[in-house]
Amino acid sequence: MTVATRRDAPPPPGPLRPFRFPPFVRGRLTNGLTVLAAGSPRAPLVLLSLLFPAGAEQEAVADSGLASLTASLLDEGTSERDASQIAAAVADLGGRLGSGADWDVGQVQVELLSRHAEEGLPLLTELATRSTFPPEEIERQKRRRLAELMRRRSDPSFLADQRLLRAVYGDAPYGRTALGDEESLARLDRERVRGFFGACYGLAGAVLIAAGDLDPEAFLGRAEAVLGGLDAGTAPGLPAHSPPPPGRLRVEIVDRPRAAQTELRLGHAGIARDDPDYIPLMVANVLLGGKFTSRINLNLRERHGYTYGATSRFDARRGPGPFVVRAAVGTPVAGAAAREVLAEIRRLRDESVEPAELADTTAYVVGSFPYTLQTGSGLGDRLETLAAYGLPDDYYDRFPAAVEAVDRETVLAMARRHLRPDELVVVAVGPADELAPQLEGLGPLTVHAAPAAAEAEPARDPVL
Amino acid sequence: MTAAAVTSLDNLPIERFELDNGLRVVVQPDRSLPLVAVNLWYHVGSKDERPGRTGFAHLFEHMLFQGSAHVGTNDHFHYVQQAGGMANGSTWYDRTNYYETLPAQYLDLGLWLESDRMGWLLPAMTQEKLDTQREVVINERRQRVDNQPYGRALERLHELLYPADHPYHWPVIGYVADIEAATLDDVQAFFRTHYTPNNAVLTLAGDLTAGEARRRVEHWFGEVPRGVEPPPPAVAAPAVVEGERREVLPDDVHLPRVYIAYRAPRYGDAGWYAADVLATALASDKSSLLFEDLVYHRQIAQDVTAYVYPTELAATFLLIATARPGVDPHEVEEAVTAHVEAAAGGLDERRVARAHERVLHDYYLAVQKLDGRADLLSQFTTVFDRPERLFEEPERYRRVGSAEVAAYAAEHCRRDRRAVVTVVPRGASDRAEAEAAPAAGAGA
Repeated sequence: MTVATRRDAPPPPGPLRPFRFPPFVRGRLTNGLTVLAAGSPRAPLVLLSLLFPAGAEQEAVADSGLASLTASLLDEGTSERDASQIAAAVADLGGRLGSGADWDVGQVQVELLSRHAEEGLPLLTELATRSTFPPEEIERQKRRRLAELMRRRSDPSFLADQRLLRAVYGDAPYGRTALGDEESLARLDRERVRGFFGACYGLAGAVLIAAGDLDPEAFLGRAEAVLGGLDAGTAPGLPAHSPPPPGRLRVEIVDRPRAAQTELRLGHAGIARDDPDYIPLMVANVLLGGKFTSRINLNLRERHGYTYGATSRFDARRGPGPFVVRAAVGTPVAGAAAREVLAEIRRLRDESVEPAELADTTAYVVGSFPYTLQTGSGLGDRLETLAAYGLPDDYYDRFPAAVEAVDRETVLAMARRHLRPDELVVVAVGPADELAPQLEGLGPLTVHAAPAAAEAEPARDPVL
Repeated sequence: MTAAAVTSLDNLPIERFELDNGLRVVVQPDRSLPLVAVNLWYHVGSKDERPGRTGFAHLFEHMLFQGSAHVGTNDHFHYVQQAGGMANGSTWYDRTNYYETLPAQYLDLGLWLESDRMGWLLPAMTQEKLDTQREVVINERRQRVDNQPYGRALERLHELLYPADHPYHWPVIGYVADIEAATLDDVQAFFRTHYTPNNAVLTLAGDLTAGEARRRVEHWFGEVPRGVEPPPPAVAAPAVVEGERREVLPDDVHLPRVYIAYRAPRYGDAGWYAADVLATALASDKSSLLFEDLVYHRQIAQDVTAYVYPTELAATFLLIATARPGVDPHEVEEAVTAHVEAAAGGLDERRVARAHERVLHDYYLAVQKLDGRADLLSQFTTVFDRPERLFEEPERYRRVGSAEVAAYAAEHCRRDRRAVVTVVPRGASDRAEAEAAPAAGAGA
């Protein structure tokens, strides 16, 4: 009944089944609050999110960690409820609540079973507009963050990332961690938190996003009823960013004498999210280190067995975030691995890519796009990107064509404009006595001690 | 804001059939996106290894991406990614899975790749490929275990909780010496024994019809020959752990962390669901018992985690808590234990209701993605021979009330039937070791 099966070549695809980015509605409430809503009825879940221009870029350098601390306190006390009552209310709704800040935005979001969706918006509104920042909750959060900083000091991957950012950005904001440090956290108090909240959390600058099992038009009406009459305040200005001054190829080792492996990073400053080169550069990076079959991963993992996996990424933010290559490699081959990465970066600048390799890459980027939109939260993430970076509403409709338009000349131009091998910082976290001889010769070399082993801490503060 | 759309997950039909060679096939058409998930479970995992030869199932998973008779080395990922698809595999105690999520017009590509390595793997196997993947796996182990803060703790916990000849005693990724000792002959024998159509379940979910699925599966897999019946795992689980087993593990960390493991009923038993509801009530969000008490009120813990493995021979009920700076990990351990033991007196009904809501939320998060749903269908078919359990799981949880949790905790959550591993900063270990009970001799 079956014809003889031909196995010697991949079977051709069937007819293309078209995919369109799901429709969404954009609305504006009477007080000016922007709303984006999309239906994605694959599961009875609803995601609601309020996004504010309250990222770490808005904080003073001395107040490092303020944006993150403020966002994390949004569900720790309001004019109606204390932290425990809020947590209980969310759990009663089968909800998952999250609040936090990255470099670009502060946000609070909740995902609920859709049978409880009606109760979600008033809850979100309460957290985002009527938080009271009780002093004891601020102290509680600060203590937890100090402990988190201590925990991370033993994480080699974190140490490598931080050393790289510090080397690339110096004292500029992106050289810090958005979590803050011991010194800055000690400064942060209720006055600063309330000041930051007052300046950055006005509804005038916010975007409300809803995605999942809902009717978008009906949601707009509901949002108007709950939020449309609230005082919107004013939107804060956004700070300007400039790239750090160019450096030169150099090596920084963080000494962990007993480490079983070496965390390797190579990086320099990259581009901003609104850079017109964003899409073609992303395609070039996917080819270089952004998929399993990328040049860097095939080289380091499949050709040499140096690592379990190697990736490269442009972290495009409102300002020029970092370009970073990451791999955890065997210590005896760390120098060889770093040189292979350098060679791959140079090759992308020196030689035009083969048409087939580029076609494979663009097909991967376009074909895997629907995969990220299977869930309400995946769709919500895309709407958040539109909102956070002011991208046009048809951005994702045009995305596949923009990817397919990237040609060999464009890849070469992107590599030459945005990859700067002679300015890379190479970071290696591992045993310095084994690493230094391998990495000498790449450029000036500095060895740093790993953070000291834990000291016995004095007794903790009494519970408030 | 009415939930206007008809939610279809609960009534998408499931089709199943079996090929003459014993391959069980599950199909769930879902045409809401132009994607198809191809998900293949082989009922083989680290439980099918033996002491001295550990890590083999996982190393073998790597070898399955190294090409087969008609697919070149590394071409598996190449073909899938150039089609716009995603592919991967994973190995666990009981099973190994392989999966692709593809634009629906590439269904044949996924079936070609999976059938070729099921039927025609050995002609493409070489010593060189084995040597490279051995290095990759040893680097994977270093990254995930040896160079990871706290990375050895779970491994040590299992060595204590299960006796040396029990299939869950050793880590899935295996020990470095065993990985280094694996030979090409081992690879070939392992394949012939376990990688047969009669030891596998194939699930297809997404933009296709049941009839189309059947025709294409018969086309690609029909000529793969049936294999031998694989032997059952070497050892059945003893009923309980005898005595509490403890160990202090010095590591390059700054904060101590406590790992507590109890043995739980095997996955699928009513008691397993009770354990999962208890884990959810203990540590799933800010309102849960351990977070509320240890992290929020007393501030002795930095974080808390609780979960239950869905494993077939026995299950592990696991609790993890990181101590705050300056807090004695023993205090954290006692606080966690007190909450677990208090559950034997029952749980507040409101906490049970919250756990039910939370479990349902997590369930929908898993099934809304085609690949997640396909993986569950393969799991329910492999373990229970019943893909329809996809729809029945929420009801199994709803049957767990306070009384069921109490009965579970009373029987299984006992100090004399558990293992405890405490990770402490190097140098601080002397004091902690002096305080800990002597470690029982669970040979490693």
